Amino acid sequence: MKVELFCSPGGSACWDRQAELRTAAQAAIKDVEWRETNVLDNVDHAVELGVMTLPSIAIDGEVVFASMPTVVQLRKALIARNRGRA
Amino acid sequence: MFTIGKLAGLTSVSNDTLRYYEQEGLIRPTAKSAAGYRLYDQDSARRIHFIKHAQRCGFTLAEIRELLELRGRDKACCGDVRARAIEKKLQIENEIRAMKAMSKALDQLIAECANEEQPVKECTIIAALERANLSTSVQ
Repeated sequence: MKVELFCSPGGSACWDRQAELRTAAQAAIKDVEWRETNVLDNVDHAVELGVMTLPSIAIDGEVVFASMPTVVQLRKALIARNRGRA
Repeated sequence: MFTIGKLAGLTSVSNDTLRYYEQEGLIRPTAKSAAGYRLYDQDSARRIHFIKHAQRCGFTLAEIRELLELRGRDKACCGDVRARAIEKKLQIENEIRAMKAMSKALDQLIAECANEEQPVKECTIIAALERANLSTSVQ
């Protein structure tokens, strides 16, 4: 499963929380591939996925959070999606 | 201090637009003349220039109101404004993408309609648009 966090380069609130969210994602899903994306370096990719607000989180290429989720919200979304894959 | 007419002249914005800005809380008069006319200060003129520039960058009036609020907030930082600018850029890029897709769809229709002499009843563009209508209403 691929999780991508889109942030703006100066969005300190976003980067401050990414470690916590990454740890939660890795604990929830074994094969998670976590990626942090600077939206300004990847505008086309962000637009293709439909990222319109920052921060956003896409799971397997679909924007699931258009604002920063809590650890619990992210964990729930990942587990639900993982169940759907099984 | 300026009357609404003077402010309109200074900023190249119509009186009606200024009244609308006032109704939307983007500007407000700072005083009233002896005759009861609303009077605006230099800051109103600055705000109107700000609004015009922001509109040219694609910001809506609601978004501009937020930017103006940020501008006056002590605890706000440049990052707050920058985040809004980046989100606006994403929105514009998304619109460009949609418009490119429309242009591409038109290219295809234009290419398929090679014979301009054909009667309009046999026009392939009209036929294709009708088919598109049908498939949309079926959905």
